[in-house]
Amino acid sequence: MNGSIIAHLALKDWRLNRLLIVLTVAVGLVALLLAQFGGLALVLGGIWFFVALCVLGSMLPASTIVNERKKQTLAFIMSLPVSSIQYTIAKMLSIWALFLVPWLTLLIFALVLIANGHVVPHGSVPMLLMLAMLPLIAFCLMFSTALVGESEGWLIAASIVCNSSYWLGWFLLIRIPSLAANLKAPVAVWNAPAITVLCAELGLIALITGLTLFFQSRKRDFI
Amino acid sequence: MTDLALEMSGVSKKYRYFTLDKVDLKLPRGQIMGLIGANGAGKSTTIRILMGLVHQDAGEVRVLGHSMPAEQVAAKWDIGFASEDMRLYDAMTLGWHMNFIRSIYSSWDASYAQLLLKRFGLRADHKIKGLSHGQRVKSALLLVLARKPKLLVLDEPTTGLDPIARHEILRELTEVMANEDRSVLFSSHNTQDVEQISDHITFIDRGRVIDSMDKEAYLDRWRRLRLEVPLGIDLPALPGVIGVHQRGRLAVATANAFVPDLANAYESTGARVQCVENMTLEEIFVANVAHSREEVEV
Amino acid sequence: MPPTFTLSQTDKRPMYLQIMEQIKQRVAAGDWVKGQAIPSIRQLAVDLQVSVITVKRAYYELERAGIIVTHHGKGSCIAASPRSQARLREQELQEHLEQAARIAAQLDMPAEELEDRLHAAGDRLAKNEEELI
Repeated sequence: MNGSIIAHLALKDWRLNRLLIVLTVAVGLVALLLAQFGGLALVLGGIWFFVALCVLGSMLPASTIVNERKKQTLAFIMSLPVSSIQYTIAKMLSIWALFLVPWLTLLIFALVLIANGHVVPHGSVPMLLMLAMLPLIAFCLMFSTALVGESEGWLIAASIVCNSSYWLGWFLLIRIPSLAANLKAPVAVWNAPAITVLCAELGLIALITGLTLFFQSRKRDFI
Repeated sequence: MTDLALEMSGVSKKYRYFTLDKVDLKLPRGQIMGLIGANGAGKSTTIRILMGLVHQDAGEVRVLGHSMPAEQVAAKWDIGFASEDMRLYDAMTLGWHMNFIRSIYSSWDASYAQLLLKRFGLRADHKIKGLSHGQRVKSALLLVLARKPKLLVLDEPTTGLDPIARHEILRELTEVMANEDRSVLFSSHNTQDVEQISDHITFIDRGRVIDSMDKEAYLDRWRRLRLEVPLGIDLPALPGVIGVHQRGRLAVATANAFVPDLANAYESTGARVQCVENMTLEEIFVANVAHSREEVEV
Repeated sequence: MPPTFTLSQTDKRPMYLQIMEQIKQRVAAGDWVKGQAIPSIRQLAVDLQVSVITVKRAYYELERAGIIVTHHGKGSCIAASPRSQARLREQELQEHLEQAARIAAQLDMPAEELEDRLHAAGDRLAKNEEELI
């Protein structure tokens, strides 16, 4: 019975956000295809691809969590036989899936294009991964802030912080000498700094998620 | 005690600008309780605590035998909740909501749901965002009624509705009572609804329960006595009378613990009782609240 | 299907009294005969859209007055007493007389005048009946 309620709630979120996902994937695919033309198109396509993921990352928490509270459908959900923790888990599963599906789709598509194409050197793959993790981290932070903070104000603050920090992430990563050096290499190089950065990024996501579960479980009022 | 649909003992909750103070409430199974109070009196807070949506600071809450909020999931399988500030998903149709609820609750009665669609004048293929206020309220109630839950907890189910819609809803609520195992708690500031269909009445004002009683016994305790007071006679303060308004030689005494002897008591002072009137629940509500606020201030 | 009774909101009397009144009228008019089963408390409550406790009170008072009988577990029915119809009428008369006495007292009318008025009313009634025939 418990698993079933979580499944119902997660499916409900999917049903409500189908359009957003489809649009994001469509835009991302177009961006990747554009990038195949090299030169300026590569730059534009690359940025567009990145931005699509960032936008999805901030829109998802807004449309699912904050709106649920603003539009007062939360009371409807909480009247169902579900506890606050089950609601949190259902939200995590559904919204994370809603982000990860397009994210993975686009990432895999990008990798396939790089592997089969001649425009982007394979040495860029580790950097691509590290950069692609940035919208994922940002999404994680915005999701958690929306869930724990319970208000649009908190989400807006988190969005501002994240959206204005992407350039910082790019900047820092590019500045690591051993990473920058391998960008134009014909083969992907998985050296220590690359592995470390990826692990740190994953660790950050785990930390944020853990803190979210912790804060959610301590809440006494759900409305 | 499993023959109580719900029970609150000593429940308190403190907010910044409002405190719910030591609320005691009992509703036996198979009965309807009407919760009356002015706006901001604490009806919604009380109901949210009952549903486990808000955790009380002190006191015990048991609903259908389950302790709240610890066992809220188990309790909510048998409770149908609808509140005035609850909304459905705008972009979806009523039919989608019906299927959503049906997929969760096995007690969904499809033929009753169809009947309610007809009685309420609703259409399953209508999107929620296109509905009027009254239609939204009826939609939310349909979702809750068609499941036939053991307990209905409704926060202002008839507020803002036209008389026809109100009548439709009261009809469904009284039909729930045909089953003596089902109970209803509803809050309202429409005293007429409460007077008509409640078995129990609870008055809340400024976070405190000022009265909670069987409706007929309660209505029986209140009377308005119209008196003619000859000059030179001072009306004494009699037990059971909470207020006397006198203008010239006519006076009106409001009693909240009326006994037939009260009329005789006045007559024996020299005043003449012109008539003894019953009071409507609305008149009682206003008199009661005024009286209890005076008491608190003193 | 219309409800069994129609209750009035403008009637200042409590609802249980109205229900009792309507049941008594049904019996007096002969619609409900002695021994006939009447709706259970819950059924009537649902039908009239009033609370169960109101109907319970009405039935309790009616039983005390000997107008209905409730068999535990089998529902209620009109009392089978052959004089119940006449008794209802007598009760009604008594209530009207008491009300007349109360109003007369408010008007400061002496008892003899009230008696005269009653005779006059009776005469008027007899004259009307003669004219009809």
